[in-house]
Amino acid sequence: MEKSIETIWKEGFLKNDALVAPKLNNLYSQKSIDIVDKFRRMYKINRVGILAFAFIILPVSFIVKIPYMGISMFFLFTVLGIIAQKFSRDLDKLDKTQNSYQYLLSFDNWVKEMASTNTKLSRFLYPYVFITVVAGFWFGSIGGDIPGNKFVNFILLKYPDTYLIFGFPLILIIAALTIISLLAYFGGQIGDFDLKLGYGRILKKLDGLLADMDELKA
Amino acid sequence: MSSDFYTTFILPYSGIIIKICRAYTNTQEDFEDYYQEVCLQIWRSHDSFQEKSEWSTWVYRISLNVCLTLLKQKKKHHFVSDSLPDEAIEYSRSFPDESLNQLYQAIRQLSDVDRAVIMLYLEEKSYQEIAEIIGTNPNNIGVRIKRIKERLKKLLDGKVN
Repeated sequence: MEKSIETIWKEGFLKNDALVAPKLNNLYSQKSIDIVDKFRRMYKINRVGILAFAFIILPVSFIVKIPYMGISMFFLFTVLGIIAQKFSRDLDKLDKTQNSYQYLLSFDNWVKEMASTNTKLSRFLYPYVFITVVAGFWFGSIGGDIPGNKFVNFILLKYPDTYLIFGFPLILIIAALTIISLLAYFGGQIGDFDLKLGYGRILKKLDGLLADMDELKA
Repeated sequence: MSSDFYTTFILPYSGIIIKICRAYTNTQEDFEDYYQEVCLQIWRSHDSFQEKSEWSTWVYRISLNVCLTLLKQKKKHHFVSDSLPDEAIEYSRSFPDESLNQLYQAIRQLSDVDRAVIMLYLEEKSYQEIAEIIGTNPNNIGVRIKRIKERLKKLLDGKVN
């Protein structure tokens, strides 16, 4: 007579070695390697993106006749790419033969150092990008005219008593300096936010895993 | 996770975890990953166990939730198993009993929720308990089990691919 599924289930699990629990030895080692490898892949994409942007913006800026911005951006993004390359080399040097906890701690230290450099750089990066973009457009060329000069003429026509310093309206200088100061002041926080936006999820996983392992060691 | 916790609270119930994880995986590697994740999740959330239900019911619930979540994540990331067919064939013979292996093969062809329902039924959980663990209405469980059993029978008879 054909067995019912209930009988198959009951009888099948009566055999001694039907339910052998796997060992939990490698619980954390694979997770550690996975997290670092995933981060490494994301970081590589980011690094390649930075360098690609540097090399694309340069010719494009000449085509659209804002070469000053293009050259400055090329310089900035090349420097960022080189810094990222240096960090990437350090990341590759992490010793995979350490135990999982030590490996993750080394990675965590690397992340902290990278994040700290990112914060410091961001204080200069965002004001630099602002100056570069504004200056790029200001001194660029639209139909043979310099947009900055056209803009100043437009302001002077509307507000003839505008005070000028070296040919720039004082009010614009004040506005630009205010924005630059704010970007310099909050640059670190913007940089941290940017980092969290890109790597937040994986870094949260890293924190969780380290907390688990800390508890395990306690 | 201390070895004491594992020995006292997980190992005696490892049968439940194994049975459920086997139904949601196709390779030994995945099975071990799921098993470990379930153990970790039980350890992480044991503080929130309120003793309103039995510990074993709690283990069933966590095992199913973890398996369903991991399965969803895999589908979301368009996971394609790179396991060799040999490995999959070997995995389909995980249990010493051939009939049980065939039953598991059939269970793996059911939908995610149907797998959960039929396993809880086979583990002799009441309709009320099944409904509580899965979070559904107990009135529908009986009808659903009947349908699943019919489908399983067809699968075992080789009438459905």
